[in-house]
Amino acid sequence: MAMCDKLLLNMSTIQNNSLPMTRLLTFGPDALPDPIGVAPQTRRLLRRKFAALVFGLALFALLLPTIEAGDLEFTRDIRPILSDACYTCHGPDPEARATELRLDDRASALASAVFSSGEMLRRLTSKDPDLRMPPVDSNRVLSNADRSTLTEWLKVGADWPEDDRHWAFIPPQRKPLPTTSRRDWTQNGIDHFILAKLEASKLHPSVAADRATLLRRVTFDLTGLPPTIEELDAFLNDNSDSAWETVIDRLLASDRYGEHMALDWLEASRYADTDGYQNDRLRYMWVWRDWLISALNSNMPFDRFVTEQMAGDMLPDRNFFTQVATGFNRNHRINSEGGSIPDEWAVEYVADRVETMGTMFLGLTMTCSRCHDHKYDPITQQDFYSLFAFFNNIDEAGLGPNNGNSPPFIPVPKSWPNLSQKESEFVVPEPVKIKVVQTSVPRPQPGSPQTVMVLHELASPRPTYRLIRGQYDQPDKTQKLTPATPAVLSRWNDKWPRNRLGLAQWLMSPENPLTARVTINRIWQHYFGRGLVRTSENFGVQGEMPSHPKLLDWLATEFVRTGWDVKAIHKLVVMSATYRQSSIAAPALITRDPENRLLARGPRRRLSPFAIRDAALLHSGLLVEKIGGPSVKPYMPPGIWKSISNAKYVQDKGEKLYRRSMYTYWRRTVPPPTMMAFNAAARETCIVRTDETTTPLQALAMLNNVTFVESARFLAERMLRQDSSSPADRIDWAFRLVTSRAPQAGETELLKDDLAAYLRDFQAAPEAARRLLKTGEKPFSKGLDVPMLAAYTLVANTILNLDESMSQN
Amino acid sequence: MNSIDQLRQQQTRRAVLEGSTLGLGAMALSQLSAPASAAEKPRHPNGGLQGLPHSPPRVRRVIYLFQSGGPAQMDLFDYKPGLHRRFGEEVPTSIYPDERKTTMTSGQSSFPVAPSALRFRQYGDSGTWLSEPQKHLSEVVDDICVIRSMYTEAINHDPAATLFQTGSVIAGRPSMGAWVSYGLGSENANLPAFVALTSNGTGKQGQPLYDRLWGAGFLPGRFQGVKFRGQGDPILDLYNPQGMTREQRRRTLNSLQKLNAQQAGRFNDPAIATRIAQYELAFRMQMSVPELIDVQSEPKNVLDMYGPEATQVGKYAYNCLLARRLAERGVRFIQLYHRGWDAHGNAPRGVASQCRDTDQPTAALLKDLKQRGMLEDTLVVWGGEFGRTIYCQGKLTRTNYGRDHHPNCFTYWMAGGGVRGGMTYGATDEYSVNVVENPVHVHDLQATILHQLGINHERLTYRFQGRHYRLTDVHGNVVNDVLS
Repeated sequence: MAMCDKLLLNMSTIQNNSLPMTRLLTFGPDALPDPIGVAPQTRRLLRRKFAALVFGLALFALLLPTIEAGDLEFTRDIRPILSDACYTCHGPDPEARATELRLDDRASALASAVFSSGEMLRRLTSKDPDLRMPPVDSNRVLSNADRSTLTEWLKVGADWPEDDRHWAFIPPQRKPLPTTSRRDWTQNGIDHFILAKLEASKLHPSVAADRATLLRRVTFDLTGLPPTIEELDAFLNDNSDSAWETVIDRLLASDRYGEHMALDWLEASRYADTDGYQNDRLRYMWVWRDWLISALNSNMPFDRFVTEQMAGDMLPDRNFFTQVATGFNRNHRINSEGGSIPDEWAVEYVADRVETMGTMFLGLTMTCSRCHDHKYDPITQQDFYSLFAFFNNIDEAGLGPNNGNSPPFIPVPKSWPNLSQKESEFVVPEPVKIKVVQTSVPRPQPGSPQTVMVLHELASPRPTYRLIRGQYDQPDKTQKLTPATPAVLSRWNDKWPRNRLGLAQWLMSPENPLTARVTINRIWQHYFGRGLVRTSENFGVQGEMPSHPKLLDWLATEFVRTGWDVKAIHKLVVMSATYRQSSIAAPALITRDPENRLLARGPRRRLSPFAIRDAALLHSGLLVEKIGGPSVKPYMPPGIWKSISNAKYVQDKGEKLYRRSMYTYWRRTVPPPTMMAFNAAARETCIVRTDETTTPLQALAMLNNVTFVESARFLAERMLRQDSSSPADRIDWAFRLVTSRAPQAGETELLKDDLAAYLRDFQAAPEAARRLLKTGEKPFSKGLDVPMLAAYTLVANTILNLDESMSQN
Repeated sequence: MNSIDQLRQQQTRRAVLEGSTLGLGAMALSQLSAPASAAEKPRHPNGGLQGLPHSPPRVRRVIYLFQSGGPAQMDLFDYKPGLHRRFGEEVPTSIYPDERKTTMTSGQSSFPVAPSALRFRQYGDSGTWLSEPQKHLSEVVDDICVIRSMYTEAINHDPAATLFQTGSVIAGRPSMGAWVSYGLGSENANLPAFVALTSNGTGKQGQPLYDRLWGAGFLPGRFQGVKFRGQGDPILDLYNPQGMTREQRRRTLNSLQKLNAQQAGRFNDPAIATRIAQYELAFRMQMSVPELIDVQSEPKNVLDMYGPEATQVGKYAYNCLLARRLAERGVRFIQLYHRGWDAHGNAPRGVASQCRDTDQPTAALLKDLKQRGMLEDTLVVWGGEFGRTIYCQGKLTRTNYGRDHHPNCFTYWMAGGGVRGGMTYGATDEYSVNVVENPVHVHDLQATILHQLGINHERLTYRFQGRHYRLTDVHGNVVNDVLS
């Protein structure tokens, strides 16, 4: 009974979503992520379930060494609770502070004696609503589990170490690889960390996935497209020890790699083809996208990659290409709505750059400190505007032009990207020229389609002030701010220039505690669906703790050690045994670790919206592979723009209908609906993590959307062109093509029955068959039997709609 | 065990994980899917969050008739008879300072008073003032509560509309309907909880709308508004491809279900079971939506009430009628947008033309809800993103003028459950420039709408980027004065 109570106690701690509590489960040296965010009702169910299951007994054993108060660590277990429940009133923001009491500052908190006097304990345990903390009207909720953790911590002396820096603000420490009892599994350093934690959790890694599954997984992950049947056969028949590495090297060398890897970066850097406000005017930034693909394909070291984008116009060896790279900081939205007050929006653009940099490189939410000191992280409003000062000297206009690029922009030679020596030189952009047209709207000169937006500094810097409550028209003129980075992060080296170039050096300095970690984490997220830090956009106090902190640090230091070699890191991940595990899992493991944070199995994920469409086009033979160039306008629903705006979508014809999805024209206010249905980021602000929900709108798109029906038609034509005329052979071929595995006999049989039924239908109604085959612009091939082709089309439609077809197992 | 049994077992397991007891078929479309992560909060069977509503709801649903472009308050509701004798006089800068004029008029050398060219009358037992193009509304005027004291900070269409719909001028936040759908779920298993409908003023180049206005922002994608379209399929890709029959579709889905269930059994991945369920929901939507949009099935007297455009897909009248049909079927948040209220020139004619499109259908919607007993548990909200200037933009005559954007005061009205019909609330100064009594901010209106649904706007929060976000940011007070 005692044992049971202990379990219940522990189960009740699971309800809390904040990570530190799970430490109480003592699964290992690193904090275990919350296995399940469960409700009380569910906990009851779980209790029953656990009580009934042998599996549950196994869990007892694991849970036995329970709360040891001495185990509580302030930064990991206590501060996140204080932060979420208390800092709104007792945190870093002086204006929001309700009393003198600060629970974010060690000296101040200790001086207040709320811990030692028993005051805090009383406030936590009191039943009197006037005393009890947090007060009801604060709308902060402290779960029972968190409350008991705090009281436990107070009772054992409220240890608050002197070095209480948040883990993410301490530079990564490279620890030796942990030893594991099992020795035959690890392939590289990653596996040591994963296995050590699995062993501490009394779990085993899964067996390696079968080779076909692996090839599909890695081909999608590295190129965004599936393997062909020839590639499958070649891999299955390669018995050499280096077969896997050969595949990886081939994929890393493919130009598809750069296109695919660019997508995450495009979403994070809010790349689009329009300005994003009101009439959502056109802009031309595809040249920057070309630069991005090329930089990724040539494996430009990550420090150089970031530096060119932050300050390519300031480098000693600057040239046309490094200048194009700075377009990264021009991808934000620009307001061209008539009547807008330019000063208001100029502030918005600069703030967007700070916030994007904060999310992408530092994993910190800067937005809060725009209006007031951050309520959770030690980032002050002054910090925000000191960063703001780095980006505030661009020769730009507050109001955008009526269509076209907003200055500064540079002309792109017709020969792009094959520029001559002369054309490759740095270009000084034309200064902003504001012209008042119409009633009195002050607009700058527009850049033509043959230009690209870049950064360019004003000759004399704009003064930067703190803006009171973030209001553009309320500068605090008592103090002019110089460019500076937040004091809580790594120090500024005085050798660095106080401009964007110096800022890039600060970001990429090995002492910077965040850039490498945050980047590695996004790479991890790319493969496993979740980062080691689940909140990949937030490494601050309110973010989640890493599931494997030592692994994160090891990878971060490895990244720096290899000279920021991006492809090497990708290779390291996919070479690991961790990545190669089968994703087939026993129900007990799924229940134990539904989000697969411990990685006792391989990742299983739905494909991205881009990969889903690209794969369908590839299978049907419709995909047109051509790297770079302006965006294209494939099929869209009728009236897609016109129904809610004053612009008309003019669909492209011919091969532009079948380019890879990354080139699809992105109108910010009306983004491509099928992409959005599959959870693409909207490109309005910097987004580094999107959810993966399943909706009936996705089903409708996959079943009925013209792109997918046309793909089914041409997949059917390919089926009919197979050497064998046996329906079973044709079905088997298409099934394997699309899912990368041969169907079982029962599966083929099922689809064969469908085929026969559809064929009967269409033979009885050939006109219906003809209508079906008219879906999409490309006419069906002459000489094929129309009812037959239609029947195969519906079978192909079924195959493309399998869960497996839109997944990586 | 056959594959379907395995699937059921999957479902049970999933239900345990999610704290829900839903079976495969009962999953509400409102949910539109399983939680994106196991860290999501527990939910009722209808998809609503446990713990909600926070208080007994006064209404079950909201119909928000958004008038995009910024209707002129002084030409519709905010009657200023005294201004006729000030025709052409300068609006004093003490009343209207220069700083927050848009750059479309800030360069004007003169800011002359343009009194409304439209006649006003008092209507109903309440004696509510309305301008003459609103004769249908006058018939239900005792059911509406006119709020003359709305104000906002935003003076351009995009940020102003975004503020009304998402609580912030900056993109990226969830829309009000998405918050409601996230909090309360749906009452209909075959329809979304949140639907958006758009129309454009006759002969107008209306202000554009943006998907973000009904977007999910940082909430899971399934809470975004489902847009019913005026062209092509009523919901994107709803219909089977040409030449494919419903029976054939059923066959496809049967096979998909069997094949996917095998995979579900193999991988034990709850996501596969969810996908199967969503395909079945899609099939049910293919049935239920055509029935829903079949407005021709309405009796003639109902169609007549909404006016000649009631059966024209994509018109405001059609959307109002559809709103009632959606409301009947349990859709929680029905968001209409009617474009064309911008009035930089020819304002009097513009107002009349917009009223021709909207006055009759709007009044018909109120009457129709009322005659079905649904007005009691429906909240109807009418209004745009800001008001318009009393000073003239462009050339001023007695019968013609233009009006620029004006954020400092404008009019909204509400009707339905718990709202004081017949009331006129708040007041503006003699120029209709500033609020002088009972100001109601955008966030106050949002807090009030949520309150009527039983939601405490301070408690419906979502953690994103380490912060607890809510619709009303850190502001908003329920306007209890207008509630009964």
